[in-house]
Amino acid sequence: MANRSQIPTCNSALIAMIADEDTVTGFLLAGVGNVDLRRKTNYLIVDSKTTVKAIEDAFKEFTTKEDIAIVLISQYVANMIRFLVDSYNKPVPAILEIPSKDHPYDPAQDSVLSRVKHLFSTESVASGRR
Amino acid sequence: MEEEEQQNRPESCENGREDGEAEEQRQQEESVLQFLDSMDGYLTLLDSLSSTLRQGWIDLASARHSMGVSRVTSVLFDLKLHSASTTLHVAEQGGDFSLIADSMGEQPHFVLYKWSSSDSGKCGSGEIEIDKRELQQSSSPQLRHRGASPHSELQKEYPAGSTTSPKAYQVQNERFKLLSVFGTLVSPKLHTAQLSFETALGTLVKIANMRSSMLSAFAQVQKQSQATTKMA
Repeated sequence: MANRSQIPTCNSALIAMIADEDTVTGFLLAGVGNVDLRRKTNYLIVDSKTTVKAIEDAFKEFTTKEDIAIVLISQYVANMIRFLVDSYNKPVPAILEIPSKDHPYDPAQDSVLSRVKHLFSTESVASGRR
Repeated sequence: MEEEEQQNRPESCENGREDGEAEEQRQQEESVLQFLDSMDGYLTLLDSLSSTLRQGWIDLASARHSMGVSRVTSVLFDLKLHSASTTLHVAEQGGDFSLIADSMGEQPHFVLYKWSSSDSGKCGSGEIEIDKRELQQSSSPQLRHRGASPHSELQKEYPAGSTTSPKAYQVQNERFKLLSVFGTLVSPKLHTAQLSFETALGTLVKIANMRSSMLSAFAQVQKQSQATTKMA
């Protein structure tokens, strides 16, 4: 019981986005855009001029805010900060890697699937059979 | 008689041990099946999401083509203080994975609240059910009329005294408010793109729930295989 991780429940949580302009535009049309009192948004538009540091800062900010429940990140952007994404293991906010216009979704690169794929590795199967 | 009882005791113990092992094996197989099911569901939903997003991007590109590049751009995004119309409710889930929840931590469950009223505050007014028929009517492309505003279109669709529910009216109002960021006259393709991304949002919430199921099932399988390894 002492080791149970508490999931922060929230009645009105946000969806954050780190993606290209078209994806962010589409989801803003769907009503997920939020601007707070400090004029901070719940999205970061990634283009050719966006630095890796800016993406890292946005990822860290969105994953530490209590009112964000899901972080959508284009997979090609997640690849730029792969170490950070793979080392994240909290249940909330959930990190969802999504495809982008120019980069289709690749299950082999998904951090969640990478975490579970070793279940099917030959090593784990062989150790079970010994 | 006593000798017979003594002979029966080790046999019954062995039977009990075998039953216990069979039960463990059965539970392990069930956990593996649950994990594989949730992983299959996760990948299927991602495939569906890719199709929906692709449609949304195509509609957005069509809208940009007909309205002009400068009219559908991130520069026009509203940076004034405003709350999201579509939010999430996060709860802890028990149910089928209550055993896993007890040992490995709670499993979050996400519920999408689409177009909740901004007047109702942080507590939210609950999930707004959209009448499917009205959704289909609104999704059919309509010709642009010169001089028509999104609000006059709204009045045309929902004239005074109509039987349309107030919630559906509110939802349409919220939709038009967001579309009007890109101008008074917008391409029907922009409206179609909006609906595609709305559908994508629903799929994303399902993916988030499937993801947490998959991780819970995986944790359970790992725990059971570690226990089996220790016993061996």
